[in-house]
Amino acid sequence: MHNTYRFIILMSVILLVSCNQDQKAKDSQLALVKTTNPPPVVTDGHKGNDQVEKIKQDVSSFPELYDVAVVKGKKAILVAYKVKHLHRFKMKKIEKNVTKMLEKKYPKEKFTVSSDYKIFLEVVRLDEKMRSSSKFNHRDAEKRFNEIVKMTEDIK
Amino acid sequence: MMASKQKNMTPEQQKYQQLQQKHEKKRPVLKNCIRAFFVGGLICAIGQAISYFYIYFFNFTEQSVGNPTVATMVFFSMLLTGFGVYDRLGQFGGAGSAVPVTGFGNAVISAAIEHRTEGFVLGVGGNMFKLAGSVLLFGVFAAFVVALIRTVLSIWGVL
Repeated sequence: MHNTYRFIILMSVILLVSCNQDQKAKDSQLALVKTTNPPPVVTDGHKGNDQVEKIKQDVSSFPELYDVAVVKGKKAILVAYKVKHLHRFKMKKIEKNVTKMLEKKYPKEKFTVSSDYKIFLEVVRLDEKMRSSSKFNHRDAEKRFNEIVKMTEDIK
Repeated sequence: MMASKQKNMTPEQQKYQQLQQKHEKKRPVLKNCIRAFFVGGLICAIGQAISYFYIYFFNFTEQSVGNPTVATMVFFSMLLTGFGVYDRLGQFGGAGSAVPVTGFGNAVISAAIEHRTEGFVLGVGGNMFKLAGSVLLFGVFAAFVVALIRTVLSIWGVL
């Protein structure tokens, strides 16, 4: 019996040590558990970057939110955010308020708002892919963006 | 009820009960609660890790990840019950191991193991849901009632 316990402890230690290698983790690897604060993404080059930055600031000003990611596609803007733990009971209300504020401030844009972790993770991944891979062009980014927007529609 | 029971007892019985109460071991309620809290919390933390795993590596969103997570947890608790590990955990953690969804898997498999000597059809098949059957029945019924209320409220325009 003691040997079994020893084996389990040994395996746990090996697992923990192997997880703690001295390499820089990508943001997306930890996006679910820590604040990543990804920069705003524009799928078609750098057009409208200032506006996206402004949207990110506006959404970040909500005290209930702690991590905001914004992606601007050709037709729509996707806003993903994480809600502070104790405010998660009021998620629907927060989503309503964020959408209302955005639609009032930017009446010409079409917004998709989501507090889902998966959507946030995919936005961070999209940003990383756009920055790191030269093969990933604007068309691919737009395609992926549309897939993510479709995912948010499936949730609702 | 207790008072009426005591009334029906003979003096000897009452005396015996007093004696028994004097020697009865006190139930360590606080200790049990703390154990249940930690064991239940540990099971839920594992469940959370599994749901993050599904979100991270598969195409599940936060809303749809509940189904595969529950299925995985129940499956693992069934395996652990079969190996005899979950029983030990149950003895230590009490309600902490029975209340999470893993307790459901344990209830199904422990009943199946208990009745396997009676044969596969009348033993295992007939008694498998002896404990978990009430969970299913009241779960389905509660879901039906909640869905009914929600439907009525959405027809009225409240939701």
